[in-house]
Amino acid sequence: MATLPRASLVTVWIVVGVAMALSYRTASAASLAETPSTTVGVSGRIEQVKLPGSELEAKPIDETSPIVLRIAGSFPHGTDWRYDLVYYGLEPGTYDLTGWLQRKDGSPTEDLPPIEVEVTSVLPPGQIEPNPLESVETPNLGGYETLLTVLAVLWSLGFLTILIVRRPRSDVVTMTVQPRTLADRLRPLVERAIAGDLPEGRTAELERALIAYWRKRLGIETMPASEAIARLHAHEEAGALLRALERWLHRPGGDPDVDVARLLAPYQDVPENALESKAT
Amino acid sequence: MSSGSTNHDAARDDARLADFASTDGAVPEETLQFIADVRARVGQIVVGQDVVVERLLIALFTGGHVLLQGVPGIAKTLLASTLSHAIDLEFARVQFTIDLLPSDILGSEVLDQSTNRFRIDKGPIFTNLLLADEINRAAPKVQGALLEAMQERKVTIGKETFKLPTPFLVIATQNPVEQAGTFDLPEAQLDRFMLCHRLDYPKPDEEKEVLRRNMKLGVRREDRGAIARTEFDMITDEPVGSTDQLVSAMEAVHGVHVSETFLDHVIALVAQTREHPALELGASPRAGIALLKSARARALIHGRDYVVPEDLFALAEDVILHRIRLNYEALADGRTGPGVLEEMLREIGTAAKKARLV
Repeated sequence: MATLPRASLVTVWIVVGVAMALSYRTASAASLAETPSTTVGVSGRIEQVKLPGSELEAKPIDETSPIVLRIAGSFPHGTDWRYDLVYYGLEPGTYDLTGWLQRKDGSPTEDLPPIEVEVTSVLPPGQIEPNPLESVETPNLGGYETLLTVLAVLWSLGFLTILIVRRPRSDVVTMTVQPRTLADRLRPLVERAIAGDLPEGRTAELERALIAYWRKRLGIETMPASEAIARLHAHEEAGALLRALERWLHRPGGDPDVDVARLLAPYQDVPENALESKAT
Repeated sequence: MSSGSTNHDAARDDARLADFASTDGAVPEETLQFIADVRARVGQIVVGQDVVVERLLIALFTGGHVLLQGVPGIAKTLLASTLSHAIDLEFARVQFTIDLLPSDILGSEVLDQSTNRFRIDKGPIFTNLLLADEINRAAPKVQGALLEAMQERKVTIGKETFKLPTPFLVIATQNPVEQAGTFDLPEAQLDRFMLCHRLDYPKPDEEKEVLRRNMKLGVRREDRGAIARTEFDMITDEPVGSTDQLVSAMEAVHGVHVSETFLDHVIALVAQTREHPALELGASPRAGIALLKSARARALIHGRDYVVPEDLFALAEDVILHRIRLNYEALADGRTGPGVLEEMLREIGTAAKKARLV
């Protein structure tokens, strides 16, 4: 094998070195020129990106940011730093990730080369999106506790209203269609019976009124009715009256021997105070 | 044994005896004698039963049915048995229990293996006087079957319909205490009982007489041994009244005069139950009919051929009380059915119609 002259070897060596350097730069430029692409919501990763200047960090973002960027790792690289970046996009478009970086020492980042990424959407164009949610403030009524207090007061008022309305009112006026006292009621019945013009339909009323009269008079109003009627029958005056009434009103054809006027005469003018309780 | 009554006292007994004394001959003597004999026969066996016997006779004379409410051991069964023997009536007793079936009362079709044909096996309801003991212990379908038969007086078994014997009287009993495992009769079914009488313990003197009589019973030799005699052994099979006499008494009831005045009393009382503010359910028209029928029978038993207000007052509790129902407000106020009824009986005599003006 023929040996190359030393000058040629140096030249070849330099050419190879330059070629390698050029190929590296071309490769780097090609890799940067190839914009990484992800779809919405899917994370992408860019590793070992060397950026000049002091150390960088991700900017704080708000909910409207279309890109979410995180520095997964940072490594010193001479006076510069290399970074592993992880990001994902929320809106379709092309973005420069350096816009989401800031220096830890607060110095400007204008000297940073752009790191462009593309975020695409898998949805077909023209997709109808739902209306965005809008938070509407509730009217302020003084707060939740105030609202509860008001409701409690209203409920209590309603409850009291129900109780008061359902309870018989003390100011309800009880009015009798007929005369108020038993004596008052008895008098016209007796008068008409003595006169002989008491309608047949009111004889029962007369009989009951006379029974009631004697129950009051003998003070046996609270006694059971069946016992009271037996007691009245046993009473000399009341018993005679009741038996006569029975013969007059209940016997078939009535008893012609019963003198109604004479029988009822004592009850024609019964004084009101003779009967203490009122037949209201 | 003995039976007492809450709505029975000496004053009423006196009044009843006075009525007998005042008989004016309008009621057939034979009927009065029949009634007196039956009461006397029952009185030989049962002590202190006057009002209950009167109610049973009222039901018997009018074709109604009686519900007796009372604690056990107050001679309900003995009374019914004695009464049936006194008038030569067939008597059957059914103890109602939770597992009783309608066919146990009404009867059923059974296959006669000798002839390979179905034959009708009639139940205990085919009798004159049926004691349905503790009716509220049976399931509603059994109660319903009995009450339907009581109402229609006929029973359908298989494809055949049978008339029940006449007279037909059901005496049902209910225990007012110990309500666990019972089925209360609803108001619609209670309404089918013409009378509901509430029995109480006998009075001390009556109970003393019960004990005296029991001491004299002794023992009865049977086979090679002996058993203690009970009051049931004292019931003789010799009736004091015949079915014909019973029919005559039933006819006599229809001859009892009812005045327009008395009808007005009945209407006033029944109407009062429908308007009373303490009542949720008032008396039905059937209550008015029952009041009228029972008043006529009571008048006959007391030797009158016309009804008087006393009949109404005496029977109101037994006829009306089981047909009314207090409303919630009245119950919450601690009011009771008897109290409200007494109030109504007082009011129909004293009160004019009320009008409320606010």
